[in-house]
Amino acid sequence: MAKNRKNQSAAIRFGPALKALFLCLLIAGSAVGYVWQKSQIYQLGKQIHQKEVRLAQLARDNKKLDDQLGLLRSPVMLDQRARELKLGLGPVPPMNVFRLQETPVVAPENKNLPRQLAVRQADARTQ
Amino acid sequence: MIKRRQQFIRALALLGLVVLAFVGLGFRLMDLQVWRHDELVKMAEKKSLQTTWHPAKRGDILDANGNQLATSVFVKTICADPTLIGGQQAIVARAIAPLLGMSGADLYQRLIPRVAKNSKGETVTNGLHYVRLQKNVTDETWQKIKTRMSQLTFGVDEKKLSKANRAFLRSLRQYAISAEPDQLRVYPNGPLAAHVLGFVGTLENTNHTSELFGYDGVEKFFDDKLRGASGWRVTGSDSRGKELVALRDEDVQAQGGLNVVLTIDAAIQHIVESALTNAAEKHAPQGITGIVMRPRTGEILAMASLPSFDPNNLRSINTNTEPNRVISDVMEPGSTFKTLVISGALNEKVVKLSDSVFCENGVFRYGGITLHDSEGHHFGNLTVQQVLQKSSNIGASKIGIQLQAPKLYEYMQDFGLGAFTGIPLPHEASASRYVHPLKGKYSIVQIPMGQGVAATRLQMAMAFGAIANGGVLMHPMLVKRLEDQNGNVVQRYEPQSVRRVVTESTAKQMIEALKTVVSKEGTAPLAAITNYTVAGKTGTAQKVVDGRYSSEKFVVSFIGFFPADNPELCISIVMDSAKEGGRAFGGALCGPVFSEIGKRCASYLNIPPDQISPPPAAAPAVVASAQTRNNMQTP
Repeated sequence: MAKNRKNQSAAIRFGPALKALFLCLLIAGSAVGYVWQKSQIYQLGKQIHQKEVRLAQLARDNKKLDDQLGLLRSPVMLDQRARELKLGLGPVPPMNVFRLQETPVVAPENKNLPRQLAVRQADARTQ
Repeated sequence: MIKRRQQFIRALALLGLVVLAFVGLGFRLMDLQVWRHDELVKMAEKKSLQTTWHPAKRGDILDANGNQLATSVFVKTICADPTLIGGQQAIVARAIAPLLGMSGADLYQRLIPRVAKNSKGETVTNGLHYVRLQKNVTDETWQKIKTRMSQLTFGVDEKKLSKANRAFLRSLRQYAISAEPDQLRVYPNGPLAAHVLGFVGTLENTNHTSELFGYDGVEKFFDDKLRGASGWRVTGSDSRGKELVALRDEDVQAQGGLNVVLTIDAAIQHIVESALTNAAEKHAPQGITGIVMRPRTGEILAMASLPSFDPNNLRSINTNTEPNRVISDVMEPGSTFKTLVISGALNEKVVKLSDSVFCENGVFRYGGITLHDSEGHHFGNLTVQQVLQKSSNIGASKIGIQLQAPKLYEYMQDFGLGAFTGIPLPHEASASRYVHPLKGKYSIVQIPMGQGVAATRLQMAMAFGAIANGGVLMHPMLVKRLEDQNGNVVQRYEPQSVRRVVTESTAKQMIEALKTVVSKEGTAPLAAITNYTVAGKTGTAQKVVDGRYSSEKFVVSFIGFFPADNPELCISIVMDSAKEGGRAFGGALCGPVFSEIGKRCASYLNIPPDQISPPPAAAPAVVASAQTRNNMQTP
């Protein structure tokens, strides 16, 4: 037979209250977490967008500088500038060019070479 | 009792209404979620999803040293939506016309919404939301336009305006003027190597984007490599149309086109074009061409044809300037062809250089026709070498007769005449119909002197290259490699030989004979280059006008190589219809051009001289090793 509510103990029952609190916290926490995560995603999206804009700008600047360099190195441009500045540049007569003979470099004779090679081979085997 | 019945009826009616309402809702739900699902999904996606295209950067064309010959620049095409401008055209036009380089009145007219009629006479409003204002606008200018549009004032206190009017003005500032990505092809050196590079056209796509496509030259031949692949991005956007990065669905980066690295050296190309321009000013020819190639590899270092055009300015292109005469013009080679005949005869051991040929004192009758030697020469006995040196028509014809028609035809084919050289350029002529098995009655005397046969200038240059290369014909090489946008090599092209045409010993004999052409006794003393031994041959061919050989118009040429015994460069110069007419020959007109180009190229490439001349009085100016090129020189 059920007890009359009037006869129930007045003491607070913490168990259910804690359970309810935990449940509320869980729901509230999930909600806050969800919003925080969405906010982070949005912020990261903004950052990605800014970085992409910056990257595109840098790529454009790079291309522009590259084009300028290409123009400055253009033989047509160099020839025109040399004429404009009257630098007196012209083809060098072939007989004004000294040609050095590139002889192959011969290593000095080293008596210890065979021994060193042998040692190195031995080292290689031990590794 | 009655009251209870009434209550029941009312409840029933209410229930019916509720059921009806639910049925209605259910019907609507089915309509939205099932029957019109696809249509509505598309509508929703259209509103919230936006697709943006990333155009692929067209690959560059570079010379052998990495100098830019053609490149692409990203620009904007500025567009307007006249429906968003309302009646504010004057204010918008005044604000942005100076930035677009247009007159305010013109821009005003273009901003007025118009309803057009199509070919069927129907009223269409397709173009109503889109008017293209200006192409090739730089990014900086577009940023200025955006700023100016955002700062537009309309002379009213906007706070007092209705919400709808304020929204209209906001939309005008933000969306009325927009920009589309576009590309501009730039040729930094202007007309330099225009015929090799070609030019591009613009292909308009249905989604208001445009694409570059190659129209001629390397741009056309390597179009699929240069083009690349566009990328795209499908992404969500907010109510203001701003992209929400988190909602990106597809994001495919554009794949830039490949860079084409040519064998052309911009400095040598400039040397050739300068020399040809000077010659053109002096002799006023109908056309003049020049080729510089390395005989050992077949690499084309320069290829020029005048008159030329500037690919940056498409208006400079017309039927006179567009054709690349080096590969598309078919002409009778004249006396340069004697080189091939005598090579064949030497190779077949039909004659020796020292053999004597009687040149009939300048008049030779054969099969009813009479041949003459040029310049009124009346040669008696000449050696085979002298036939080449003096360019005797009769001598060459007699050698041709000795070689016999089938063999001559065989050698013509072996030297590459009548077949495509395989150069990677469009519109190459093979001249196959002009290279036949000498069935005509007079062919055997006519063809050896370079008449009745035709070839392109490139074919003749490659044939001379074969002699310079010890008898081995090479494929002309115009492209060294293909690179990606980061400079990684994707494909490398190597020199390729076609076939051995004559033996090495025959080639050596021919070189000895060709050296004499550039001597004082030969036909081209003006082609000589100080400190270098030159071997080459002149050509003077009558042009065919109205089916007859003209006595006024000539195609004159000089093809040669140097240093003769160790050839580094083979140069061909051909001049069409110079003002001198028949008064001047290949040696006199093209020889000096050859010499000028050869001298400057030798200096630029630091080619070791093979002739010792007295040392100069001044101290040596440059000290260099044999293998290093002096990059400090101007061409």
